[in-house]
Amino acid sequence: MRAHSASVIPLRPLLLSMAISAVPFLAQADTKGAAEALLNSKCQTCHLPTDKGLNRIDESRRTPEGWDMTIVRMMVSHGVELTPEERQTLVKYLADTRGLAPEESAAHRYLLERDFTLIEQPKDQLVADTCARCHSYGRTGLQRRTEEDWRKLVHYHVGQYPVIEIQQGGRDRDWWEIASGEVPKRLDKLYGLDSEAWRKWLQHESVSAAGQWRVVGHRPGWGAYEGQATISSNGDDHYSIKLTLNYANGKQETAEGKAVLYTGYEWRATVKQGDMNVRQVFTLSPDGQTLSGRWYQAGIDAIGGRFEAVRDGKEAPARLLAVEPSYIKAGTTQQVTLYGSNLSGDVSLGEGVEVLKVVERGTGKLVVEARAAAGAKDGVRAVKVGDSQLDKGLALYQKLDYISIEPDQAMARIGGNGGAMPKIPVQFESVGYANGPDGKPGTADDIRLGYFPAKWTLDNLNAYAAQLKDAEYSGRLQEDGLFIPGDAGPNPKRKFGTNNAGELKVTAVVDDAGHKVEASKPLVVTVQRWNDPSIR
Amino acid sequence: MNNNKATLRTALALGAVSLGMMSQLALAAKKDYLVTAARPDKVVVVDAAERKVVNTFTIPNTAKGNSVAGLTVSRDGKVAYVVHNRWETVSGIDLDTGKEVFRAELSSPGIRGKAHFAIDVSPDGKELAVHVSPTKLKLGEYEVQDPYIAVYDTSAGIGAEPLRKLPAPRRTTTLAYSPDYKRLYAYSWDMVVLDPQTGKQIGVHPWRSWKREGYGEPDTLSVSPQFEQANEFATPYFIDYTDKNGKKVTKAGVWSLDLAKDKVRFSEFEGELVMPFSTVINPVRRNEAYTAYTQLTKNDIDTGKLIKRVDLDHTFYTVNVSSDGKELYVGGTINEIAVYDTETLEKKDTIIISEGDQVLSSMRMVQR
Repeated sequence: MRAHSASVIPLRPLLLSMAISAVPFLAQADTKGAAEALLNSKCQTCHLPTDKGLNRIDESRRTPEGWDMTIVRMMVSHGVELTPEERQTLVKYLADTRGLAPEESAAHRYLLERDFTLIEQPKDQLVADTCARCHSYGRTGLQRRTEEDWRKLVHYHVGQYPVIEIQQGGRDRDWWEIASGEVPKRLDKLYGLDSEAWRKWLQHESVSAAGQWRVVGHRPGWGAYEGQATISSNGDDHYSIKLTLNYANGKQETAEGKAVLYTGYEWRATVKQGDMNVRQVFTLSPDGQTLSGRWYQAGIDAIGGRFEAVRDGKEAPARLLAVEPSYIKAGTTQQVTLYGSNLSGDVSLGEGVEVLKVVERGTGKLVVEARAAAGAKDGVRAVKVGDSQLDKGLALYQKLDYISIEPDQAMARIGGNGGAMPKIPVQFESVGYANGPDGKPGTADDIRLGYFPAKWTLDNLNAYAAQLKDAEYSGRLQEDGLFIPGDAGPNPKRKFGTNNAGELKVTAVVDDAGHKVEASKPLVVTVQRWNDPSIR
Repeated sequence: MNNNKATLRTALALGAVSLGMMSQLALAAKKDYLVTAARPDKVVVVDAAERKVVNTFTIPNTAKGNSVAGLTVSRDGKVAYVVHNRWETVSGIDLDTGKEVFRAELSSPGIRGKAHFAIDVSPDGKELAVHVSPTKLKLGEYEVQDPYIAVYDTSAGIGAEPLRKLPAPRRTTTLAYSPDYKRLYAYSWDMVVLDPQTGKQIGVHPWRSWKREGYGEPDTLSVSPQFEQANEFATPYFIDYTDKNGKKVTKAGVWSLDLAKDKVRFSEFEGELVMPFSTVINPVRRNEAYTAYTQLTKNDIDTGKLIKRVDLDHTFYTVNVSSDGKELYVGGTINEIAVYDTETLEKKDTIIISEGDQVLSSMRMVQR
C-alpha cells in the first residue's frame, strides 16, 4: 500500500513528459502481479498475443526511459488511460523483464545521464545516416529489437512523420527503400533482440543498494567534492537516499530524496540538493560495490556533476578514490588531500614526490604536505595509502604546456523571458596538459594534469557574428566560466529582428605562476529545444 | 493601364489559349489578388494594389494544431483549395462567399492519408490533383502504403471521393498542370511528367539524376508553389562544385521548368553564397528570378548574375510577383506580406494580413 507515495513527487503532465526529460519514476505500486494484470488489460487490447508473446512488446527491449517514452506515447497518441502509479508499474516491470544488460547500455550512458557535450562516433554509418540525422546515434543503440520490429519502427516513422522523406537529411536518398530494406537487417545484427548478455543478466542475482557509501565527484564550475551517502531500502527496489557533499572550494551541500533501481542496476533518483531539484542517473555495479554516474539539475541538464561511490563502513574494503589537487609542479611544495574509505597505512605519492608531513589523518580523508623534486620527470604517479592504490593519482609536471577548454562541444540555448523553456547555460572549465615524452601537444602521450582556474573572455566567432553583434546579444560569460545565454524570443534591436542565438568564441587564459597559457573554443548559442524527450 | 497591358502581354506570350475567359474586356477589369492562409484556420484574400485584406474566411471543421500546407486557386480566382486538418483534408473555399464548396477527406477508417504541398487544380478548374501519402493503421503497428495522386471532380462538393488514383513517386513536393492540361508534373527526386488522365509517365526532367562534370547532387526543399504568374515552376537549389584544382564550393542557383513549353533552364549565382528558400519568375522580364528568405535577391537566370540583394526585415518563406512584373510580395512565416519593387528591390509597403502566422502556407496570386 505505497500507492499514495506518487503524490510526494508528482509525475509531470503527460504532454510535458513527451517534451521534457527525466520523468521522476517514483510512484511505488509495482508488484509483478499488478504489472502483468495491467499489461493484459491496458496493452493487450492492441498488442495481441502471437507465438512470440505480445505483438511488438515482446519484440523489443529498452531502458527505463525508453519504456516510459513508449508508454507516454501510447497515452498521448492512442488514448491509453493510466494513473501515475500504473505508468510507473509498467515502466518498472518492462524495464526489469525487457531491459538492457549493463554492457548493452554502457556505450551510450551519456544519453541517459543527459550529458550532451560529446560528439558521437557512430558504429555504423548507414544506421547513422538513417537514424542519427534526427536522433542521437545512441538512441538507436539503447534499443534491442527483432529485424521485423526494427522494420515496423521504420513504418511507424513514415506513417507518423510523412515529411521524413522531404526534409533535409532524408531527401538526399531513396529514404524509404533504404530505411525499410537494408537498415533493419543491419540493426538486427547490431542491436538484435536476442543476446547472451541479456540472458546472463536475467540469471544474475540481484543486489541491494542499501547501506553506507563514500562519495567523490566533480561538479564543473565548483570543482571536486567528497562526501557520504546513506541509502535505505523501502522494498521492491525503492530506496531513500541522504547525501552530504563537501566541495574543495569550501561549499557544502546536503541532499535527500527517493530512488528506484530498475533492471537490477539502473539507479534513478530525484533529490533536493541544496536549492536544486536534482536527478541522479547512476549504475549499481553487478557486485553492488560501486554506484556511479551523473547527476543534473532537473530541466537544466547542463548543470550537474560526475559521481562515484563505494561501500563505506567498517566491513567495506579499503579504497582510495581521489586526490585533490590532481597535479603538482616540479620544485614546489603543496598540500595534497586524499579521499577514500577505510584508509590506513603509509602514504606514497610516487617517484619524485616526497611526503614531508601528514597534516591530517582520518580513514576517509588524509591531508599531506608534499614536495615534488625539481628535476622529477613529468608523468602521472600512482598514489598509495597502505594497500589501497589509485593508479591515476597525482600528475607531476615541469611546465604547463597547453590548456584545453571543456566541455568538448559547447552549446547553450536561449530561454526564459516569459517563455516556457529555461535558459540552458554552459559551464566552461580549463584543463591543463603537459606535452609528455614526445614533447608534442595533442598526441596520445600527453599528460592530463587537471583543472586550472582561468580568466574567461567572450568574443564573436567570425565576421558574420561580428556584423550581427552576437557577443553583445547572445549571452554573458561569468568569471567562473559559466556562460548564461540571452533571453528567448525575437529581439527588435537585432538585424532581421532575430532572436539572441549566435556564434561566439570563448577564451581562457591560465596563469601558472607567471606562465600564461591561452585557449579558445567556439560556443554555439542556439534556440530552445521544444521537443526534449528522455532520450534525445 | 500598364498593369492590364502587361497582363495581356503575359497571357499572350504564354500562349494561354486555354484561359478562354481571359478576353481583353475581362482583363481590363481584373486585378491581382494574393490568396494565402494563416493560423489557426483562416484563408486570406488580399487586394495587392490596394494593400488591403478584402476577405478572411474560416475553414470549417479543422484541427487547429497545424497550419495550412499546400494552397492552390482555380484560374478564375473563385475557389481556393487548401490542405488542412492535420493535412488530412482538402477543402475548397469559395472566395466570394467563404463557403466550403468542396471537401475531401484523405483519411478513412483504418487508413491515415496525408498531403503536404503537392496540390494543383486543372487549368479549366474542373479537376483537383492531390498527392497523398497513406498509412494503414493496424493493431499495434503501422504499414506504409504507396503514395498516389488523388484526382477529384471539383464539383463533387462535400464528401468528395477521388475520380481516379494515379500512381505517384514518393517525396512529391509539387504538382503542376501544364496550361494545356496535357501534362501533370510531379516534382520528386526528378521532375516526372505524367499523363493527367492515366498517370502514365510520359517524360522526365532529371533532377537528382542530373549529371554535370564537377557537380554533385543538387538539393532543394521546394515547398512553395508559386508558378502561376509566369507559368514557370522554379525552385532554388544548392549544389557542390569541385573545380579543376580540387577546390570545392557550395553554390546556390535557380532551376526552373516552363510549364507551357516543357523546357528546363537553370543557373547558379556567382559570388557569395545566398540562402534562398523559394523563388518566383517575373512573368514580364522572364530572365529575372527573385528569391526570398532573410534576403531578397534578384537574379538573371540567363546569365547567372546576381543583380541585387537586400536584407529583409525578418525571415520570409515565399515570394510572388504582380502580373505586370513590377512588384514582389514576400510572405510566409509571420503575419505580414512585404511589398518590394522589382526594379530596385526597394521596400514599398507592408500589409498585415491576420492575427495568426502564415508559417509555410502557400501564397498564390490570381486575377479577379
